Amino acid sequence: MKRRDFFKTAAVMGAATLGSSAFGSEVKIQQPIDNRPISKFNFPEKRPMITHSDRPPLLESPRDVFTQAITPNDEFFVRWHMPEIPTYTDPEKFTISVNGLVQKDYVITLKDLKNDFEQVEVTAVLQCGGNSRSAFLPATGGVQWGSGAMGCAKWKGVRLSDLLHRAGLKEGAQWIGFNGMETAAYYKTPGFVRELHLDELDDHVIVAYQMNGEDLPYLNGYPVRLILPGYYSDSWVKMLKNITVTSEYQHHFFMDEAYRVPDNATEGEMPDHLVKKTKPITKMNIKSVIGFPENHSTIAINSQLVVRGVAFDSGIGIKDVLISLDGGKTWEASILDNEARGRYAYRAFRFSFKPKRLGKLNIMAKAVDKFGHEQPLAQNVLWNHGGYKYNGIDVVTVEVV
Amino acid sequence: MKKIILIALIALTPLFAQVKENIEVPYVSYEIKMGKGFDQVNGNCLMCHSFGYILNQGPQSRAFWKEKVHKMINAFKAPISDEDAKTVEDYLATYYGNGK
Repeated sequence: MKRRDFFKTAAVMGAATLGSSAFGSEVKIQQPIDNRPISKFNFPEKRPMITHSDRPPLLESPRDVFTQAITPNDEFFVRWHMPEIPTYTDPEKFTISVNGLVQKDYVITLKDLKNDFEQVEVTAVLQCGGNSRSAFLPATGGVQWGSGAMGCAKWKGVRLSDLLHRAGLKEGAQWIGFNGMETAAYYKTPGFVRELHLDELDDHVIVAYQMNGEDLPYLNGYPVRLILPGYYSDSWVKMLKNITVTSEYQHHFFMDEAYRVPDNATEGEMPDHLVKKTKPITKMNIKSVIGFPENHSTIAINSQLVVRGVAFDSGIGIKDVLISLDGGKTWEASILDNEARGRYAYRAFRFSFKPKRLGKLNIMAKAVDKFGHEQPLAQNVLWNHGGYKYNGIDVVTVEVV
Repeated sequence: MKKIILIALIALTPLFAQVKENIEVPYVSYEIKMGKGFDQVNGNCLMCHSFGYILNQGPQSRAFWKEKVHKMINAFKAPISDEDAKTVEDYLATYYGNGK
């Protein structure tokens, strides 16, 4: 880089405000892009997946993964923000630092993390805020995910509150900042830092080193990551290295500009009238995805077909997953698995029927929570500039032959 | 005929997690179109992300691509000169445009 260029660039920074002209004005919400090919490359500890990028790695789970209530580690989606991920982490030497507005700073090794605190487990859904983003037209910024930027795993680790308790919060402590070990190509690029307010913490928030009974896969944040059940994955910091307590909110790009939706009741906006006041995406809305059958597959007439999929929300609890075979005119309840995995986990559903008519058949799945909230039809999902929080009713089209 | 070049990157990143040997993140050869401005795309964009990021967006309007280039400069502080920014925008609008 030429030094002169850098200063020229610096002068423009901040001055430039992005208008809404980058978007077309015709809003259309469609089914997210499906059936993208699985790459022939397998990434470390992963099966071949839909590979949007190798650097930073962006791997999406194909639809058939969502027939299972627990997502296998080797099929779990991957999303990094920065091109540089440490190439080597020595589990003997790795430490996490707890510091800031605390009585006593400390660093802790992986071994002490596993020995000095109560070990806890939580099964929880991890979903990118931009999952299914390809549903939004005009296209918004960000990775154009299908619906495979989500997964559900059993996480094991220690409570964040226990780690903070050992340090002892000082008076005035309000915010906790987290950062991991990924780094940008340029020093000036904002780091991937997330902040939580103390009020957002409960005992379900853990610092996890294990996923489905194994070490975290490298690409899912080995050796430790933050687990925030019910929240979108932007706050589940991977390769967690540092925890800093502050009294004031620290401004960071990934808090202030990314992962935000309009701060109004509907969280919707129009491309040519973007809402100025925004808020973080935080808690997940209700959603379900059909794992089987797949789009464009053929099904024999009068054969017994079992539709399978998963449903989840932010922890309110799924009451029903309803299936429609007539374009949404009538709905029938599917069979849900039990709630043994807890309120933050997938509920697997299944629905058995025999297709009676030849030709195209649309299978629709709609989740309803215990308060009666339900998923909207795709065309009723409201557009937002970041393409976040899509939760339209999933539709799979098969050919009955 | 569209000219397509396969970009093969030589560098490999060794990784080490629960496996007891060096493992590597594969480099994927994304097919990117050759054309005017490709050198600037190669030199600037690839510093931070693969061509997969471009292809993943699908064909988009010139305004969309312009906004993306400026997001890289303003939000992510990529040191892209004004001349290069315009060249990259032209390239994206030409080869990955949607006619708008």
